[in-house]
Amino acid sequence: MWIADKYIDYVKKQTIQDPEESWKKILMGFKANKLRMNLIPRKGISKGYQKLEAMMMSFVADSLARPDSYIWGNIFAPCELVRCFQMGTLSIECLACYLGGYHLEDHFIDYAQNAGIAPTLCSYHKTFVGAIESGAVPVPRYAVTTSLSCDGNLNTFRYLEKKKGVPFFFLDVPYQDDAASVDYLAQQLKEFAARLEALTGRPFREEALKESLRIENETRRELLRFFELQSRHYYPGELISHMYMMMGMHLLIGTREFLDLLRYMMEEIRTYPRFEGKRILWVHLIPFYQESLKQYLNANEQYQIIASDIILDSMEELDAARPFHALAGKIIRNMYNGSYENRAAAVEKLAERLHPDGVIQFCHWGCKQSSGSSVLLKEKIREKGIPMLILDGDGIDKRNSHDGQIKTRLEAFLEMLDAEGRERKKIC
Amino acid sequence: MLGYICKYAPIEVFESMGVEMKRIEPEVSSFNQADVRMHPNICSFAKGVLEEIMASDYEGIILTTCCDSIRRLYDVLREEFPGRFIYMLDTPRITKEAGARLYEQRIREMIRAYEGFSHRKFDEEAFSSYIREKKEAASLSVRTGQLNIGILGARANERIREILEQKGANVAFDITCTGLGRKVLWEAEKPMAAYTAGLLSQFPCMRMEQAAGRDELIRRYADSVDGLIYHTVQFCDNYAYEYAWLKDWMKRPMLLLETDYTRQSYGQILTRIEAFLESLRPGIRRRERQTEGRDRMYVLGIDSGSTSTNAVIMDQDRKITAFSVVRTGAKSGDSAERVLQDVLKKAGLRREDLSRIISTGYGRVSISFADENVTEISCHGKGAHYFNPAVRTILDIGGQDSKAIKLDENGEVRDFVMNDKCAAGTGRFLEMIARTLEVSLDQLGAIALTSREKIEITSMCSVFAESEVISLIANNKEKADIADGVCHAIANKAFGLLRRVGLEKEFMMTGGVAKNPGVVRAIEEKTGSSLYICEEPEIVGAAGAALYGLEQLTGKP
Repeated sequence: MWIADKYIDYVKKQTIQDPEESWKKILMGFKANKLRMNLIPRKGISKGYQKLEAMMMSFVADSLARPDSYIWGNIFAPCELVRCFQMGTLSIECLACYLGGYHLEDHFIDYAQNAGIAPTLCSYHKTFVGAIESGAVPVPRYAVTTSLSCDGNLNTFRYLEKKKGVPFFFLDVPYQDDAASVDYLAQQLKEFAARLEALTGRPFREEALKESLRIENETRRELLRFFELQSRHYYPGELISHMYMMMGMHLLIGTREFLDLLRYMMEEIRTYPRFEGKRILWVHLIPFYQESLKQYLNANEQYQIIASDIILDSMEELDAARPFHALAGKIIRNMYNGSYENRAAAVEKLAERLHPDGVIQFCHWGCKQSSGSSVLLKEKIREKGIPMLILDGDGIDKRNSHDGQIKTRLEAFLEMLDAEGRERKKIC
Repeated sequence: MLGYICKYAPIEVFESMGVEMKRIEPEVSSFNQADVRMHPNICSFAKGVLEEIMASDYEGIILTTCCDSIRRLYDVLREEFPGRFIYMLDTPRITKEAGARLYEQRIREMIRAYEGFSHRKFDEEAFSSYIREKKEAASLSVRTGQLNIGILGARANERIREILEQKGANVAFDITCTGLGRKVLWEAEKPMAAYTAGLLSQFPCMRMEQAAGRDELIRRYADSVDGLIYHTVQFCDNYAYEYAWLKDWMKRPMLLLETDYTRQSYGQILTRIEAFLESLRPGIRRRERQTEGRDRMYVLGIDSGSTSTNAVIMDQDRKITAFSVVRTGAKSGDSAERVLQDVLKKAGLRREDLSRIISTGYGRVSISFADENVTEISCHGKGAHYFNPAVRTILDIGGQDSKAIKLDENGEVRDFVMNDKCAAGTGRFLEMIARTLEVSLDQLGAIALTSREKIEITSMCSVFAESEVISLIANNKEKADIADGVCHAIANKAFGLLRRVGLEKEFMMTGGVAKNPGVVRAIEEKTGSSLYICEEPEIVGAAGAALYGLEQLTGKP
């Protein structure tokens, strides 16, 4: 056991025994990790993915160190707007993941369930609720959530408002995609900006938002190109690298810093050899801790995740001239909103562009909106002649994911892809 | 006929066009279709609706965007029934003016779509005069001389109401989604706008932004009743948040009741509701003494569990005359007959010497010779208090379920929680693992005590846990260490139950699993205090039942 593991164990014990006193130790670990990532390179992982990891760790550690510098949000909250007030948006889903770094997820989940929260709720939400309710993690002064993409959002934020007194702004995202919906949400976004003005005492500058949207458009275009490159070049990363990319695309999108990193990665990826293995298009969350998945998909020249729908869940070109309407339109046309057909169409579009050999959808425990359409999505993807695997498990709680079962399914699927490849070669 | 499910659905619009509207209340025997077409982990209500629609001939269904599961239900229904009117009505969560305006627009779009589908015509004037006549139904009716119960939480099916009424309780209010009378606003000028505003201003459900306003109304309503049933639906997570919040400040006794819209869950619902009602009226109904011609009086308590059937004979001085424990076979009635003969033999008594027989346990209704039945929860409470009056929290782990019961100083049940339809943390689970390890159930606990290496069984589901154990065996782990890991897994689960009722000392453990020293040690480690276990932990429920019998005869608690 090396020193970091010992520290993790120590903090876990402390947090369980004395939650109110352990925050400084949790925070110190995050800061130490940030330093380590910036100073010590890791073998076998591309520099780009390492920089991405370091950027996310810095974002989280720096935000948490200055409680006035961030508000809570969900992953779909408009971080571009919050940033206009010089604040970051820390998504509760990502915070749950970082707390998982201390292997505290089981403790927090049990804590939430024992308080009466449903065991069948999404484990990210349960981890977060347990962390806050147990008093282990301090609270900020404000929060924001959208109703997209799941029921848990409004309910989790409302629960914590009542229990811990964190007020929040609620953005109701209509199901339907039309002008009336966009107007309705744009109006709410304007009210949100006014609320942030009052909260921070800083005036809203529309130009800052417009600039952010212009960078965002550029970032999204570059990301698609990056995915194309990743389907052609071997670019070693880890399962969690894709989660970091998702985090960046939702919490740091619209910043110059993130766009620059993406461009760095596009430069670097070109220096890597051609990828000759099987290309996997991943659908939904990735259980980054799962042993068998790590074994097959972490820096492996035979199998590579080339893209995921959670990284690019909106392909909207934003009209910076009408920034509130542009943001509203982006959220409404997010592939997770509305009918499953929107998502199926978006995944199909990615597949047409990137030519994956197989698609894997991970059905995360408690995520009804995603799991509920997995069967329909599989039918659509199969019609395209692409094999698809549905894996059941849990993105964060190891107790709901059985490695043996995932291993068997995954290996059989990969064997099937390999056999198909051989068939194709024979015919050629 | 069109189906609908949600109180925000504008059913009067259709009714004014002469369409019959039916609220879908599924009660199904399985989710065979839904598990294939959707995913097993979808809300049971949504799965039930899918089964119901597939089995009947609705012209269509009006869904609202009420939750994630319903959104996916819409997708599946539209794929399955392209020829029917499957409509998703986008319902705002904001009830302020912007929300009402958008909703009116959405309702008008829906009317146009239905006109196109059915060739019927919507007439706004006819609609206006139709809704003008509608009256809001009264929503609170408290009756004196009866236990008054309020139902709240997620949509509750009729069964809960039926059981309450059968057991003599009055349902004073039902503020679940579909329990309240509809609120219909009428205004001559703009009937549709007023109607829409009225719909959105109903008592808000958990999906609405304004749901914070629920607290005040719940507080007001709750004050008028004796107890509350908080209902949740399996795989619907939204209402558990409210339960978690309410239980911190709600002073009225509250039962958390989860159902899944299948017929099979009836027995479980019944036990929980009965036990809850028993805890609300601990008073004793006096019975006639049936001891004429004899100088001693004997009562029998019989507890029909899934693994064992237990009997206790007690005399008028509350002394146990004899007890017996037999394995429950395939028919609980047969085992009851066997245990009756055995215990009579041990006591040296005849059937006629028994003044009263009370049955308990999950097979309690199948025991034909019992005079009355009482739930095992109340009986465990009474039994535990009898064996040790200092006990405040009971952990009972039986063959198929586990429960934690909180008692007051008089041995009355104050709160209880039970595990749900899942074998994790029960005796069955231990049996399964013992079989996998090829040891007897008795050995399992004993060898756990000799463990040297700590192994963690992480899977919560018993099926997963079994395969995890198989992997451990494959990795050459010691049996003793695996057994110890399993005991700790049970202890973790049990600790969760104990915490939910409050962890008040002294603790007592009952049920067959209390005989397992490995589990007992693991639970004691977890709670940090010792567990009181009586000599024969399997007969506590039967002893409690016998005490009930005595109390009924003597009128003394």
